[in-house]
Order: sequence, then structure tokens, then C-alpha cells
Amino acid sequence: MYVIPEHKQVPFAGCTPAPVKEQRMMITGNWRTYRPVINREECNLCMNCVAYCPDACWQLSEDEQEVVWNSEYCKGCLICVNECTHGALSKAHELDFEDGVVRLEKPF
Amino acid sequence: MGKVHEITVWTSGVVKDKEGRDVANGLARAGQIEGKFVQAFDNYVDLPDRVNVPVRKYARLSDEEIEMRYEYENHHPEVVVLVTDAIVKGMNVLRGMPKGGVLVVNTPRKPEQILKFVPNKELLKALVCVDADGIAGKATVDFSGTEGGVDATALGAGVAAPLLGAIARATGLVKLQSLEQVVANKAALKSGYEQAIVHTLN
Repeated sequence: MYVIPEHKQVPFAGCTPAPVKEQRMMITGNWRTYRPVINREECNLCMNCVAYCPDACWQLSEDEQEVVWNSEYCKGCLICVNECTHGALSKAHELDFEDGVVRLEKPF
Repeated sequence: MGKVHEITVWTSGVVKDKEGRDVANGLARAGQIEGKFVQAFDNYVDLPDRVNVPVRKYARLSDEEIEMRYEYENHHPEVVVLVTDAIVKGMNVLRGMPKGGVLVVNTPRKPEQILKFVPNKELLKALVCVDADGIAGKATVDFSGTEGGVDATALGAGVAAPLLGAIARATGLVKLQSLEQVVANKAALKSGYEQAIVHTLN
């Protein structure tokens, strides 16, 4: 039987291992040009970002005191910035940050 | 077969797809005017693109007939162009580049700020930064030319024009005069040629 080497494996659309919280074959953090930045003092936990993020990159933390951003999967669509009710979220250019480097060999 | 110059253009899907395509097509058409053998095409596996996804466009220039049959990717690009600067963080854009290559980035930032995100910078002969967004103002969005179709809008009306100028100055692969014959926004092309910051390395 021919075994596909791991670096050449591509998931068929929708046919990915489940249930998993984070799909390692579908990292999209490298798409980002702008990222959302949260001002914790302004945030009143209205949960709009959690509800509107198409990739569930905003999650309530375990102690339920703040929302946490997932840099590996956030595509930088900035829907959360648009939907934030208290102006706690703003956009910042990705190259202003040292972190968040998701350097992939293949685009996806 | 003589030496084939491979150029890979990285761009953001949908929002700057047309600009990336224009860079590849502009180089190829300018090379054609100079009597070179040329190819320009999209990367098949990146299509259909989605908003912001990193996609590749390829161009090849050669003095002799290009006989790279059934090779649909540039495995050894000597020039890499980033139409969106943030891709430098997300992809290993210099993969396969032979030593002495050139990286051209559309950014208002200084070369040092880009260079710190390039892990394999020893491959580079020069890093070129040009604020193409600032010069051209707006990116053209047009899907008519995807996957080999004919573009309904003009080539190089937006961000691609200053980038092409910067490529001409940094690499000398094509002349500015031949680019002027194919690019719509000639003022932006010239501004890109003049304002490009060429940071020489190694």
C-alpha cells in the first residue's frame, strides 16, 4: 500500500479528524495582515466577539474573567472589531508585533 | 535550455489577487517586448482563493525557449515579491531560492523591520522596500482574469505599477521602458522605480 508522506497529506474539504478543538491541518493564522487588539479596561464581556468570530478565535477564559484571542487561527477578518460594542477592540498591523509568527511551508 | 529566471509573487487572496497577477503578467509582457521567452500563470493549488489567503503567482523569463514541461510551480525563485508585507510572517517565502536572490516587499516600513522576520536572509542579495500602497493609493479588485482568463481592467492600474518599477530597478530583469508600454499607471510605475529603497546584503 502506498503511504502518503505526512508533508503531502491534504485533508479533503470537510473531511478532517473530529472531534478536535483545534484542527492542526487548517492553521489560518498566517493569513493575517491586521490583528484585533483588546483593551481589557474597556471590555465589559458582552461576548459579541465570541459570538461573531467565524473561527471561534475569541473564547471566554476558564475563570470567565476575560476573553482570550487565538493567534494561530485568527485570519484577521476584523469582524470582532466591527462588532465590539464598547470600542475595546482595535486593529493593529501584524508587523508591529514580534509574536504571532506562524511560518508554514505550504499556504494551507 | 538556457537559464530561466523564476519570479514568485505572493499576494492576499481576493483583495490583492489582481495586483499579484498584474505583477507576474506585467513582467512577462515586458519581457516579451524585449524578445524574451516568457510564461506567467497562477498557482493552481491556491485557487480558488479566499479573502486574505496567501496565494502565489508565477512568472518565468528566459533568453531561450522554456522547456520546463509539467512544472507548474517555481521551485527555485530568484526574485520573490510580496504584495502584502505581513506574508513575511506567515510563510517561508524564500523557500527554494538560490543564493543571491532578491526580495521585493510592498511596505511603508524600513528594510530592517522586514528583515527581522526573514529567517533565511543569508540567501538574499538585496531587499527592496517600496510603499506601493501609498504611491498607487488603491488596489484594483477584479476577478475576470483569474485562472487564465483575460483581464477586463487594465494591467497595472493599481498597486502592481510601483512594485513593477521597484522590481525593474532592483533586478534589471526587464527594462523600465518596456514596462511603460504595458503598465496603465505610468506615473506610479516611475514613482516606484525612483522611491524603492534597495537594501543590499551580503
